[in-house]
Amino acid sequence: MSWSLPKLVPRSAPLILLILTLAAATGFAAVGHLVARYNANQQSRGRKLYSQGLAAASAGHYDDAIAAFRAALTCDPTNSQYQLSLARALRDSNDPRRLDEAESYLVALWQRSPQDAAVNLALARVAAHRGSVEDATRYYHNAMYGAWNSDPDANRSKARIELIQFLLKKNALANADSELMALSTSLPADPAAHLHAAQLFADAQDYSGALTQYREALHLDPSNSSALAGAGEAAYHLGNYTTAEHYLQAAVNKDPQDADARRLLAITDLVLRNNPFHSHISDAERNRRITAAFSQAETRLIECAQQKGVDLHAAGGTSSSPLAALQTRWMATKPDLSRLRSPAETDLPDAIMDLVFQVEQQTASVCGPPQGLDLALLLILQKREAAIQ
Amino acid sequence: MSDLASTPRSAEGMPAPSVVRLRATQRLFASLEGVFHEEVFFLILSVFIGIFSGLAVVCFRLAIDWMHLALLGPLPQTHSWRLFAVPSLAGLVVAILVLHLFPGIRGSGVNQTKAALYIFNGFIPFRTAVGKFICAALAIGSGQSLGPEDPSLQIGASIASALGRQLQISREKLRLMAPVGAAAGLAAAFNAPISAVLFVIEEVIGRWSAGILGSVVLSAVSSVVIVRWFLGSEPLFRIPVTTFKRPTELVAYAVLGIVGGLASVAFAKSIGYLRPRLKALPRWTQYFQPAFAGLLIGLIAFLGAPQIMGAGYDSMDQAMHGQYTWKVLAVLAVLKIVASTVSFVSGTPGGMFAPTLFIGAMLGGAVGDVERIFFPHLTGSTGTYVLVGMGVLFAGFLRVPMTSVFMVLEVSGNYEIIVPVIVANTFSYLVSRSLQTIPIFDLLTRQDGLILPSLEEEREEAILRVEDAMLPVPAAILSAADYVDANARRVQSCTDATFLVRMHPSGWSTITREQLLHLFQEGKGDLTLGSILPSQSVPSLYPDLPLDSALRYVNNYALVPVVNRANSLQLEGVISRESVFQKYGTRSKNE
Repeated sequence: MSWSLPKLVPRSAPLILLILTLAAATGFAAVGHLVARYNANQQSRGRKLYSQGLAAASAGHYDDAIAAFRAALTCDPTNSQYQLSLARALRDSNDPRRLDEAESYLVALWQRSPQDAAVNLALARVAAHRGSVEDATRYYHNAMYGAWNSDPDANRSKARIELIQFLLKKNALANADSELMALSTSLPADPAAHLHAAQLFADAQDYSGALTQYREALHLDPSNSSALAGAGEAAYHLGNYTTAEHYLQAAVNKDPQDADARRLLAITDLVLRNNPFHSHISDAERNRRITAAFSQAETRLIECAQQKGVDLHAAGGTSSSPLAALQTRWMATKPDLSRLRSPAETDLPDAIMDLVFQVEQQTASVCGPPQGLDLALLLILQKREAAIQ
Repeated sequence: MSDLASTPRSAEGMPAPSVVRLRATQRLFASLEGVFHEEVFFLILSVFIGIFSGLAVVCFRLAIDWMHLALLGPLPQTHSWRLFAVPSLAGLVVAILVLHLFPGIRGSGVNQTKAALYIFNGFIPFRTAVGKFICAALAIGSGQSLGPEDPSLQIGASIASALGRQLQISREKLRLMAPVGAAAGLAAAFNAPISAVLFVIEEVIGRWSAGILGSVVLSAVSSVVIVRWFLGSEPLFRIPVTTFKRPTELVAYAVLGIVGGLASVAFAKSIGYLRPRLKALPRWTQYFQPAFAGLLIGLIAFLGAPQIMGAGYDSMDQAMHGQYTWKVLAVLAVLKIVASTVSFVSGTPGGMFAPTLFIGAMLGGAVGDVERIFFPHLTGSTGTYVLVGMGVLFAGFLRVPMTSVFMVLEVSGNYEIIVPVIVANTFSYLVSRSLQTIPIFDLLTRQDGLILPSLEEEREEAILRVEDAMLPVPAAILSAADYVDANARRVQSCTDATFLVRMHPSGWSTITREQLLHLFQEGKGDLTLGSILPSQSVPSLYPDLPLDSALRYVNNYALVPVVNRANSLQLEGVISRESVFQKYGTRSKNE
C-alpha cells in the first residue's frame, strides 16, 4: 500500500506560493480551533483538579494537594492561581526540600507581576520559613503596598501584623516597633484591632505604645475587661503604679476571676503602700516604710541564706559569701534606724534604702525572683533608678 | 486579432472590468515569475515547511497529552492497575500498526531522515508522517519511555519531502528538503531553534554546508514561532537560579562529565547489544516486544517509580528544584536507562532525546548532591548540576558536542553556566568516544545495513593538502622577459622535462624542453619567451588547499605552481600529476 498526495499544484512559483499561503492559513485556522477546544477542555479539567487541591490543602493533606495542583498545572501550565496555590502547598508541607520549588514558582510569578500582593505575601512567608528577616521584610512590604484583589486595607493590615509577629519571633524588637507605629496609624475604630495592636506593642516591650492602644480600645469600649487589664499591666511595666492600680482595680471589679490582674494589683498595692520615696506622704509614714523595708530585707536575707546553706553568723566574719557581708552591713546599720526622725539626717533614708535595695538585688540573683514585698521593693528600686536617669 | 475580437467589451468599446483584472493578475504573475528563481523559491519554501511542520508538531503534542489523559488519567497514581495494563495494551496496538500499516516508522526517525538525504534522494513517504504521528503519540501517551522530539523531526522531514515532491523541485533541492523539515520539526518539539539547527547539521546532514544553512534556520525559526503562537513560550522547565562562582568547582563538573560519559556508554551499549538480537527473533515476537516493554515499564512505575513513564519533563523539573534525594535521583537514572532501552529496542516508535535528558538530569542531580556531601563548600545548586547533567548525556550518548552545549544554554537561558557545561560535556564526549567508537545513531544505521557519513568521522578524517604533495622549487625557473636563447642556455644544465615560466608582471606558464629547443632551432632566439607563449597562464595553488582541489589542474598542466598566500610572486613549490597520485597512493596503502 502506498499513499501520496494528489498532484494538483501547477508549476508556477507565485501561484504555488499563493496556494501554500492559503493552505497555511487554513491549517492555522484549523489548528487554532483544535487548540482552543483542547485548551477549553484542559482548563475545565484543571479547574476540577484545582478544586480537589484546595480541598486537600484546607484539610491539611498537602501531598494530595500538591499532586492535584501539579496535575491542574499540566492542564493549564500558565495559570497563575494554580502556580500560587501549588507554591503555597509546597511551602506549607513542612518539607524543607520543597521550599526551593515553592520559591521558584513564586519568583516566576513575581517576575511576571511584581506588584501582585498575594505573590509577595507568599514569597514573604517562604522567606519567613527560611528565617531571613531581610527578605521577609522586603516581601511583606511589597505585599502591603502591592495590589490586592479584594479588601486591600484589611489585607494590608493583616500582612503588617504577620510581619510584626515574624519580627517578634526573630527578636527584632526595634523593627517590630517601627512596624507597630505604622500599624497604629491605620487601625480601624474597632476595640479588637486596638487590643491586638496593644498586645503586639506589649510583646515588643513598647509598653507606652501598648498603653496608648489599650486606652484607644477603652475609649471605644470602656467596659472591656481585657483592655482594662492590659492597660493596667502596661502601666505596671512602665512603673506608673497609680495608673496601673486604677486600671487593674477596674479590671478586677469587672472580672474577679482574672488571676493575673489580681496578682498585679496586689503587687501594685504593695509598691504604692511601701514606697518611701512617694512625694505625698508624711515623714512619719516615710520612716515607717523605711523601717518596714529594712526589716523585710533582713527576713529575705535570712531566708535566702538558709536556702543556700550560708552561715550568716560565722565566727569572726570568716564567711566569704556576699550574703554574710550584707548581713554584717545590715547589723551595722540597724542602730541608725533610731536616727531617722532627726531632721539633720537628710541622707540617712537613702543610705538605709540603698542597703535594702542591695540586699534585694543580691538575694534575687542568688535565690531567684522574689515575691510579695520583696518584689515590690525591687520595683520601687527600678522606678527610682528610672526617675534618677 | 482573434483574441481582440473575442475579448468581451463594454458599451464604450473598452474591455470588461473582469478581463482587465485577469490581465493585471497575469501580468503580476509574469513579473513575479522572474523574481522567484530557485534559490529564492527554496528559501521561501523553507518558511512554509517550518509553518506546516510547526502546525503538525502542535497537533502531535496535543495528541500525546490527550492520549496520556485518556489512558493514564490526569493524576499519576502509583499502585494502579492502569500503570502496567495501559502501556502493554498500547504496545500491542502499536506493534500491529507498525507491522501492518507503517513499517518504516520504527525507532527514532533520525536515521531514516539521514538515509533519505544520502540514499533515497530526499524521499520519505508521507505515510511515515501519518504513522509516526499516530503510533508515537499512542506509545508516548501510554507511558512508553520515549520522547516526542525525534518523531517530530521525522514528521517535519516527511512533510517537507512530500511537499518537495508535489512541487516537483529539482533533485538536488529535494534531497535537502528532508533536513530542512527535520530542523523545523525538532525546533518545534524542543522550542529551541539553535539546538535544532545544530543537531540537524551535526547529526542529519553530517557536514557543514553553507548552502543549506539559511533554509534550515528559516524553517526552524518559523516552526518555533508557530508552536509559541499556539502553545505559548513557556520553557520546558522552570529554571532555578544557577551559579558558578569558583573555577575550582570545574573539577566537580569534570567528575560529572566522566560519570555521564560512562552512563552514556552503558546506555548506548545496551541498545547496541539488544536491538539486533530482538530484531533477529521470529516475526511473531515483534507483535509482543512493545507490549513486553510496556509491561516492564508499567511494573517499574507500579512499584513506585512512575516518573520514568513517557518523556518525563515534569520529573526533570522537580529534580531541578531539589525534590529528590541523591539516592532517588540515581535510582531513577538507572531505571530510565532500563526503561528507555527496552522501549527503544522493542521497535516502538519514539525518540531518544527526552530519555537522554531525563537520565542526564537525574544523574547530574545525584552526582552533584553526592559531591556536596563530601565537599560542602561547593556552591553549585542541585538545579545547576541537573542542567549540566542534561548536556553531559547529550554529548556522551548522542555524540553531538556543539548541540549539547547550546541545548543547555537555550533551555536554561543562562550563560553563567557555559564553562561548567563545556567542561563536563567535553569529558563526557571523550569518555564516550574512547569506550564506544561508533556513535549511537551510526551504530543503528549500520545495524540496518546502511553506511552514512557523519560529522564525527569527518572531524577525525585526516585531510591531504597541497603542501603534502608539493615538490621543492625547481632549480631552473624561466622568465618570460628573457630571450629564448638565454632561456635555452639555462635549461642546458638541467635534466627536467618541463619548466615553469614566470610571466610578466605576474602569473605562471610552463614549457617543455623540446618546445624551447624547437623555438631556438626555428631562429626565434632573439624573441622574448613571453611574446611567444600563449597568454593563458597556469593557475596557481596555495599550500593549505585540500589536495582534491589540485586534481582538476594536474591533468592539464604538467607543473602547477604553489605560491604564498601573502605574496603570490613567491613560489613555495610545485605539484605534478605524479606527485599528487603518489601521495594518494601512499595514503591508501597506509589505510
